[in-house]
Amino acid sequence: MAVIEVERLHKRYGDEVAVDDVSFEVEPGEIFGVLGPNGAGKTTTVECLAGLRTPDGGRVRVLGLDPTRERDALRQVLGVQLQHSGLPDRLRVREALDLYASFYRQPADVPALLDRLGLTEKAGTAYKKLSGGQQQRLAIALAMVGSPRVVVLDELTTGLDPHARRATWELVEQVRATGVTVLLVTHFMEEAERLCDRVALIDAGRVVAVDTPAALAARAGQQQRLRFRPSAPLTDEELRALPEVTAVTRHGSLVEVTGTGNLVHAVTSLLARRQIIAGDLRVEQASLDDAFVTLTGHAADH
Amino acid sequence: MTTTALPSVRMTRKGFTTLTSVQARLLLREPAALAWLAVPVVVVLVLGSIPGFRTPQAALGGQRVIDVYVPTCAAMVPLFLALTALPATFASYREKAVLRRLSVSPVPAAGVLGALVTVIAAMAAAGVVAVVAIGALVFDVKAPAHPAAALAGFVLGGAAVLALGLVVAARARTAGAASGLGVPLMVLNFFAAGLYVPVAELPQSLQRVCEFVPFGAVTAIWSGHGPLWQHLLVLAGWTVAGGLAAVRFFRWE
Repeated sequence: MAVIEVERLHKRYGDEVAVDDVSFEVEPGEIFGVLGPNGAGKTTTVECLAGLRTPDGGRVRVLGLDPTRERDALRQVLGVQLQHSGLPDRLRVREALDLYASFYRQPADVPALLDRLGLTEKAGTAYKKLSGGQQQRLAIALAMVGSPRVVVLDELTTGLDPHARRATWELVEQVRATGVTVLLVTHFMEEAERLCDRVALIDAGRVVAVDTPAALAARAGQQQRLRFRPSAPLTDEELRALPEVTAVTRHGSLVEVTGTGNLVHAVTSLLARRQIIAGDLRVEQASLDDAFVTLTGHAADH
Repeated sequence: MTTTALPSVRMTRKGFTTLTSVQARLLLREPAALAWLAVPVVVVLVLGSIPGFRTPQAALGGQRVIDVYVPTCAAMVPLFLALTALPATFASYREKAVLRRLSVSPVPAAGVLGALVTVIAAMAAAGVVAVVAIGALVFDVKAPAHPAAALAGFVLGGAAVLALGLVVAARARTAGAASGLGVPLMVLNFFAAGLYVPVAELPQSLQRVCEFVPFGAVTAIWSGHGPLWQHLLVLAGWTVAGGLAAVRFFRWE
């Protein structure tokens, strides 16, 4: 059974349609990404999942629970990190976790959680004295403190520096490793590519595609590009003779081969047969960014 | 707004107890906590240590200045807490999206409000008791003529200003806006309670007006001026009107 079911979700604020028609299912134990530009309807979708807003149409279930009518039960099994949410300035890290732990029937072990999230040294620090990365780690800890079966993380790494972002990604993978299903909302293609098992691409309140990041990227086109500096002369004809190769161009000593299928294998086999070493070898494949452009007809707004 | 479903979530007793103790600690960590708790005590001690304020005054109907100021200083505690601390704290929670985070936990935002009001009521009661005790023990201030009525006055007066504080808390978007609305209300009550000038020295007409301000009524009950039923009715009126307005205008985000 799917952990999260969203079926034809529709939500409007007055005349403005925030979510037009969104459907997806999240399977147990996966990291599922909801990816799209700002204003695509991601946060509204999350708020409907968390029972903060009542959908105008469609059906939403989390672990079989209706978020609107079964809020009490849902709160105990769903951990949520909302975008734009905070804590009192003078509340200390340990106090925040002890406080939130007291709300749940089966709280996690607070010292162990502090340790896992690298916050043990900051246990006595006031919220406002924490760095952005530390505040986000505390946010994950608060989402996890009720021992949830599902966590929703909304724009977790927005505003973090690259180092803190990578550290946060590792934490998300750790969360999944404990068997918790993760719904990750993001507008960073790179983040979705790195973390998600499957991704729903959302644009203007509609789901454009649901698939693995690799499959989505592949839909953007089969074209791959290989660049290298051969250690010995190699003619264009030799490369074009390979069925996978569609074009060969040269930039000085740099050879650029474009093609489809198992291009990398075909070219490297040829080079191996000719005992040529490929210097500065680079392989470029279509990314989620390319997929987004191909599938929606416009660039994702960063 | 049809969007934000009102919190209907049940909270565990442990959750509420922890929330209340955290709220108490957070309030005492505010630098302004010194004002709520220390200023009234210091004012009583300073006024009481002035020899002239310990001799009976004809203008005050034979009472000493310190006799008149004990209920006034005691009134400062609930006024500070209910009209500035409560709305400013709640508005800052709204401003900093503390309520938004709580809204996805099993604790409803109403739980935070309940815990905050509990803590503020308890602190206000403790402050009033401290000021009255200092007056009685250090400066020999006599108990009010009708202790039960005076107690009822303080309880109902506290409820009335808490209700007014909640009206401010209901709407203020930021802590600054909450102070902007709460402080004038507090100053008005300070005046009616005789903090700036003893009420007995005001013109008769102004004294009558003060009796319709919550803590004007409370101090009038303490000193036995005017009809008791009228003062209690004024306080009950403010409590009910404030409570209804707070419920009517409340928003969580």
